[in-house]
Amino acid sequence: MPMRAKRALLLMILLAVTAAAVFIFYQSNISAPWLPECMFHKLTGLWCPGCGMTRATHAALHGHIKGAFRLNPLGMVLFPVALIGISLELVGWVRGKPLPLSLRLGRYGASVILIVILVFWVLRNIPAWQFSLLAPP
Amino acid sequence: MSFLNKPTLSAMQWYYSKNSTQLGPISDQEMREKTTSGEILKTDMVWREGMPDWSMAGNVPELSMVTPPPPPHMASPGQTGGGILNTPYSPPSIATGYATQVANIPNYLWQSIVVTILCCLPLGIPAIVYAAKVDNLKASGNIAGALEASANAKKWCIISLFSCAVLVAIKVAGLTTRH
Repeated sequence: MPMRAKRALLLMILLAVTAAAVFIFYQSNISAPWLPECMFHKLTGLWCPGCGMTRATHAALHGHIKGAFRLNPLGMVLFPVALIGISLELVGWVRGKPLPLSLRLGRYGASVILIVILVFWVLRNIPAWQFSLLAPP
Repeated sequence: MSFLNKPTLSAMQWYYSKNSTQLGPISDQEMREKTTSGEILKTDMVWREGMPDWSMAGNVPELSMVTPPPPPHMASPGQTGGGILNTPYSPPSIATGYATQVANIPNYLWQSIVVTILCCLPLGIPAIVYAAKVDNLKASGNIAGALEASANAKKWCIISLFSCAVLVAIKVAGLTTRH
């Protein structure tokens, strides 16, 4: 892909992300029924690893970090890290040469994250109060 | 990606580097014997004609190596210089060498995590499974496998993102027709 097309695509991605953030920020009722909801939760009644992230992003954008972690503690850790990782890769991709800095976690890093997500998924569905702290209220 | 094309191995001349000394040329047959006997380790640098740059033996697909690298403190303390990566022979210098290309096989881990968290469908999980496979296969020297896992990770990211977009579109369409 030529450099110009890459730059245009990067600009579109940035605009889409900004638009999504602005949209979420200005929701007066982030639990409104007409907002996109989790299909997995709707069909099974169980929490998925991403459940609560829309509300958590809303809370975080308004500076309520504690409330955001209450809604999805793992997502609040992984999501910002993932955004940094993707940004570094995108910059390298646009300039046609990877940056010397990257968020690669070595041989078992991704496996560890996978296990953490799966364990989090199971734990937040256990109906005991200690574990339901991991699920959105 | 030209480095994927497997050249014919019959008349291949290999060079390798041991303790900062360039050795070879040796035939493909000899090369295979040395890698299986453990004389050439995964971490030793090798080069043959057709490869853009020197590469660790463990990263060369056709040498599917199984020997583990030596512990790092095995080198004698008096040894100075570039260590095991010091290659006395300068190959044709090309900006992106083979080793660099191998190191940059994308694992799409962060993309997989974002689609898992945001799309709220468990379709992101296979993407993360493949992302984990990329790094594992790459580390074990299975470059072809790592490239395949990379393509699969990308595929599942796209599937996840696409189904998410479809669901949102259905939702929006449902809202607009209700009025």
